[in-house]
Amino acid sequence: MNLPSFYSRRQLLQTAGSGFGAIGLASLLAQEGLLAAGAVDPLAPKKGHFEGKAKSVIWLFINGGPSQVDTWDYKPELAKMDGKELAGFDKNTGFFAGSVGPLMKSPFEFSPRGKCGKMVSSLFPKLGEHVDKMAFIHSGHTESNNHSPALFMMNSGQPRMGLPCVGSWVTYGLGSESRNLPAFVVMSDPLDRGLPKGSAANWGAGFLPSVYQGTWLKPKGEPIDNLKRPAHMTDLQQQRQLDLLKKLNGQHHESRPGEVELDARIKSFELAYRMQNSAPEAFDIDREPEHIKKLYGVGEKSCDHFARQCLTARRMVARGVRFVQIYSGGMENQRSWDGHNDILGNHSQFAGETDTPIAGLLADLEQRGLLKDTLVIWGGEFGRLPLSQKSAKPGRDHNPHCFTTWMAGGGIKGGMSYGESDEIGHKAAVDKVHVNDLHATILHQLGFNHEDLTYVYNGRRFRLTDVGGKVITPILA
Amino acid sequence: MHRLTVHLLLVFAALPAASQTLPADHAERMKAGTALFQKTIRPALVSSCLKCHGDEKIRAGLDLSSRELLLKGGESGLAIDLASPGDSFLLGLLRHEEEPAMPPKQDKLAADLIADFERWISLGAPYDKPLLEKAGAAPVEMQITESDREFWSYQPLAGEPAGQVDIDHFIQAKLKEKKLTPNPPADAHAKVRRAYLDLIGLPPTVEQLKAGLAMSHKDLVDKLLESPHYGERWARHWLDAARFAESHGFEQDYDRQFAYHYRDFVIKALNANMPWDQFIKWQLAGDEIAPEDPLAMMATGFLGAGVFPTQLTEKEFESARYDELDDMAATTGTAMLGLTIGCARCHDHKFDPIPVKDYYQFLSLFTTTIRSEIDLDLDPVNYQNQLQKWKPAHDKVIAELSEYEARPDVIAAFDNWLATSAKTAIKSDAWVVSEILEATSSEKATQLTVSADGFVLASGKAPAREVYTVKTAPIPPFNRVKSSTQQGTMEAFRFLRIEALTHETMPQKGPGRAGNGNFALSHLEVFATQGAERKPVKLTSAKATHEQNKGGLSVASAIDGDPKGTGWAVDSGGIGKDQAAVFEMSGVVPGAALEIKLTFGNNAQHSLGHFRVSFSSENDPPVVVGGGTSARMQAALAALETGSLLPEHRKLLFSIFAKTDPEWLKRNQAVQTSLNQKPTPQTEKVQVSSEGFPPTKHHADGRGFPHFYPKTHHLNRGDVNQKKEVAESGFLRVLMRNGKTTGDWVKNPPPTWSRTSYRRLSLANWISDVENGAGHLLARVAVNRIWYHHFGRGIVATPNDFGLQGTLPSHPELLDFLARRFIASGWDVKQLHRDILLSETWQQSSSAAPEKVMIDPENQWFWRFTPRRLEAENIRDSILAVSGQLDSKLFGPGTLDLSQRRRSIYFKVKRSQLVPMMQIFDQPEPLASQGGRPSTTIAPQALFFMNNNQVVDWARSLATKVNTADEETAIREIYLRTLGREPDSAEMSETRAFLAAQSATYSHQPSTPNHQLSTDNSRQLALADLCQVIFSLNEFVYLP
Repeated sequence: MNLPSFYSRRQLLQTAGSGFGAIGLASLLAQEGLLAAGAVDPLAPKKGHFEGKAKSVIWLFINGGPSQVDTWDYKPELAKMDGKELAGFDKNTGFFAGSVGPLMKSPFEFSPRGKCGKMVSSLFPKLGEHVDKMAFIHSGHTESNNHSPALFMMNSGQPRMGLPCVGSWVTYGLGSESRNLPAFVVMSDPLDRGLPKGSAANWGAGFLPSVYQGTWLKPKGEPIDNLKRPAHMTDLQQQRQLDLLKKLNGQHHESRPGEVELDARIKSFELAYRMQNSAPEAFDIDREPEHIKKLYGVGEKSCDHFARQCLTARRMVARGVRFVQIYSGGMENQRSWDGHNDILGNHSQFAGETDTPIAGLLADLEQRGLLKDTLVIWGGEFGRLPLSQKSAKPGRDHNPHCFTTWMAGGGIKGGMSYGESDEIGHKAAVDKVHVNDLHATILHQLGFNHEDLTYVYNGRRFRLTDVGGKVITPILA
Repeated sequence: MHRLTVHLLLVFAALPAASQTLPADHAERMKAGTALFQKTIRPALVSSCLKCHGDEKIRAGLDLSSRELLLKGGESGLAIDLASPGDSFLLGLLRHEEEPAMPPKQDKLAADLIADFERWISLGAPYDKPLLEKAGAAPVEMQITESDREFWSYQPLAGEPAGQVDIDHFIQAKLKEKKLTPNPPADAHAKVRRAYLDLIGLPPTVEQLKAGLAMSHKDLVDKLLESPHYGERWARHWLDAARFAESHGFEQDYDRQFAYHYRDFVIKALNANMPWDQFIKWQLAGDEIAPEDPLAMMATGFLGAGVFPTQLTEKEFESARYDELDDMAATTGTAMLGLTIGCARCHDHKFDPIPVKDYYQFLSLFTTTIRSEIDLDLDPVNYQNQLQKWKPAHDKVIAELSEYEARPDVIAAFDNWLATSAKTAIKSDAWVVSEILEATSSEKATQLTVSADGFVLASGKAPAREVYTVKTAPIPPFNRVKSSTQQGTMEAFRFLRIEALTHETMPQKGPGRAGNGNFALSHLEVFATQGAERKPVKLTSAKATHEQNKGGLSVASAIDGDPKGTGWAVDSGGIGKDQAAVFEMSGVVPGAALEIKLTFGNNAQHSLGHFRVSFSSENDPPVVVGGGTSARMQAALAALETGSLLPEHRKLLFSIFAKTDPEWLKRNQAVQTSLNQKPTPQTEKVQVSSEGFPPTKHHADGRGFPHFYPKTHHLNRGDVNQKKEVAESGFLRVLMRNGKTTGDWVKNPPPTWSRTSYRRLSLANWISDVENGAGHLLARVAVNRIWYHHFGRGIVATPNDFGLQGTLPSHPELLDFLARRFIASGWDVKQLHRDILLSETWQQSSSAAPEKVMIDPENQWFWRFTPRRLEAENIRDSILAVSGQLDSKLFGPGTLDLSQRRRSIYFKVKRSQLVPMMQIFDQPEPLASQGGRPSTTIAPQALFFMNNNQVVDWARSLATKVNTADEETAIREIYLRTLGREPDSAEMSETRAFLAAQSATYSHQPSTPNHQLSTDNSRQLALADLCQVIFSLNEFVYLP
């Protein structure tokens, strides 16, 4: 047993040199016969139902529920009705039945932006430059007026806990293009403002095998568990361990030919070693040139944290990561876009944290040619009411009946709007879009018939869109 | 022309069946056809055709949702040809001979299936029922037909097989049929190791291995089944099926601090070899079957283990409760019966004979079941023993006191006292405490409890506003004894006192129920009733021991006629102290009963928590707290006055007299001392699922969340906004045999029992009834689970689904044989393990001869023992064990501390904070029942072995255990401890070479403050590195 070491530095560098970028690691691994273990490798790359326009998704989750009438859904009628009571309003629509105020105009100015002339709130001076890449969906509606059920709805298609989220379905359906990085990563607020309500269930695999759950990048310290060699050990020493492991396992395996699982397990250590060597590089945004960092707003006090996450997201998708979700804001109230009090201050703050970074992300994806196959999604779990919520500085309460989502890249038509809310932005009115429809559209862009991406569990064939879902074809390029 | 033809054909096709001559074998053909429909045609139509042909769309005008519509055909004409089945257009489409090939953009259906279609058409293409309920069409209520009951899992167990048979008989017969031969037995060493890992989830120590090799296989199996660690390993499987966790999930994911008792129940029940039917019944209704047994109460944790939102808005209350009921019903169905009951929530089950009606009737069984945290004595036997020890001595002192009281000289002394001293001895207070007949609140949430001595205590959740109504007994003509020389005079009461009293159950001790301990009596009214007459009593001149201010919160404002705005409150110095208010009454005549209404309308939850009502007839009674003579004492005194003492009066007066008798006091003291020594049960809080206990506190209580609704309704499409009639409780009709109906299992609670409804007890009766109920399926599902976890594959490969969507049993006769034997043994779980482990099938080697692999790569016929990776818990537990780190303490609260050293089953299961290592190795999320786990092989698992700090620590720990002077001995010992064998020469030389190279590099490494490297130290580090490699070996983490 005198096999050459798998882990020679030279070979590693070769891998690193050719692996990142357009070739993609799948083919590389296939060359080396590593995918022979595909039978037991739940993350092996798979084909969708057809060739999708998008290969990856970056989902900017505007956590807490952004107000549509203060961001992208311009409502001049609302301004005219400012201060008036809304007749027939159901006080149980929002979360606080006892503090319902009158209609309230947006405290932000709107102006036409881009070639398409989309009316955009003054919250987004930089993002406004990119409206020609975006398709706005103004008629979204959901099934809960409460954060966690609405988050579960947006992430898993039902307002209940325990169903697989979009990222898990996609990973289950397509596997991973990146053997060095997790297929599905999630970034949450790094400023100690907490996790989105319902926390890890928002990126859970539900009844799908747990390998398909999102990998939460810890905002502090090492982003992924067990990715760093033990401190007392050198690389050479660890390689020696792995060599010994391979020899001993090989000897064991020799007497058990044909045990695919044992073979796959031997190979999993080789993959792991590569992951350990290349993943940290993917997270190391300090390698980026200054002008790129600046583009995202890295170093700017108001938005540094989100800029870093957006830049990380781009580095991830460039390396074949399938699904990235970034949460803007932490838990509820002043910790996220949940502007119950002081909608002006709240939305100014969170828009300020994200405007430059998201604009930078879109520009950067475009200049690298990545935008065409990266679907970027902006949206929250629900919208907010056009009425004020009584407070020293007025806010807005939850609104399940209407919200705005935009998508860009990944085969989405830019500079267009789809669906309409009523004249005050209270309820979706024209071409209503259910959460299942958003999901159907996302899956479609990745190459799935949403009705056919199914998993049998406890006697039932489940799908992300349950019994609904209609692809929003008018926004497709 | 073409169109016309179609129409003509339609006319023929639609001819009623009765007008045609039916073939003689019609009934048999329909029966066979219906069976085929249920088995393969319906699933195929539903999964491949129905969406476009009947459900969401009706493509090409062809609707397959019912036989009538199928026979109508579509735009291209008839779909099937009953006269010449083989020429049916539908078959052409399926065979991809006609355009468009069906199903579209998909592979052709399997040839077998297409053949089934042809046969089905030839049998007349019968449907058992339409695949969909069509709007407009009269909904057809799903019926359970005989052919439904013919599906294998709903059938009674097959009869006793002829002759002496065992597991191997069935397995080997099948192998023969498949042209396979069983593997030879595994070697003795592998068998011992396999038995340890399989039964207790830990590898044998060196000594255990030696002992195991020296004893018979049977003795070893018996020994392991008696190990307390057996329950720890096997409980984990049931906890997966029971979606067990110790937090709510959702928003805040609050801990369920006392939910771990359910986990302990499962371990204890398995270790004690509790009969499986009892194990199941207790989980459903232990609180009704054996409420005195703490283990039975702990068992009910099953029903309440599911997720539940922690934050709810009013709009979500009821749908959340229906979701919770669904969780209970669905988990009961999948975990216990392998039936996916939950699929019938919105419509009749698409595949299994579970009508939506059965679903809501089943749901209704849990209507009033909620989670509660109650105090339980977990060791009642010990308490009873102590009580038994205490009782004789106590009985003795009681007897001594009674004897004394009955002595003639004592009675004579008492009579003398009554005649001479009683009147002076008893000081009558200015206040007479009223006897209260009834005290009620206007709000259901509040319970008012009246004590014998006239105190009223409020409990329950304080509602925002409420009115208390207190009714007194008729006030006897009052005859107050003012002094021994004065005659009593008949007087009417002139003053009313309300004492607002503190109590430990109130916020800030009260006296009010508001969060700050305050109350606000906004309106006080008194009515005097006598016969049919009810007259208001005028109240004037209010005084109080304390009032919050002199304005709107003064005592006077309680009688200012404003029922809402103002009222007597006691903050600003009065919280946590007893208070009293006194009012003057006019117009109360002796003999009237009083009705006192206290309105608390001023501020939310500002009602009184604890109070007492008394009266006085003095001119200016003191405005004080305390004192008071009871109305009963007043009556006794009056009787003494008139010489008409009744026995109860004597008894009351004796209690006063006795206090002057030193001998009585001495004997009474002995009784008191004995009472103080009475043993008390040691209680612990336990989470149970029951009825009638206070619900576990919930975040939405403040919004008025009711926890349950008294009735469960049938719902249209599962929507709480579309309620239909109330759902009566009922079981699944397909699992009731011999003409039995739900009522045959219903047991009503005895007259002495009112806390629970006995609905779940009735359910437990049905589910375990092997004669007419679900007992046979219960047994099949149980033995299949146990088989599954021994072999990594079930006889039914889908342990949570025994319905039409599940897989068919690979060895149906074996399954029935095991299930029948299981029931006959008294549901003896350990006997089942024993039967399996002693079979040749289990003892086979795991070797994989290529020619056998060719025939059966998945080993579904069990020609070998499939080697498989240990589960997450057993990997960690094994490493802890071999590195000498394992803390084998059983039971008790779990922890989230990753560095804990107890077995992994004692990790607390917090839904938002699952243990990363468990997750990496496929522990499922505890959200809904899981029958089996996948066994994945992914890079993060390898990274765990390579880099995890704990693995490094465990490796170091093992290295210190074997550190001997001689390297070869050390290596040998590591192998023995971990793999239970000596290294061969190749392994010895490889590992020695590794140690040499590794320690050389360590000794060259510059020392850091943390790593003082000496030669010894570098060798130690190298040894630890070796141990880490051994932990990572396939051989270590695979069942041999």
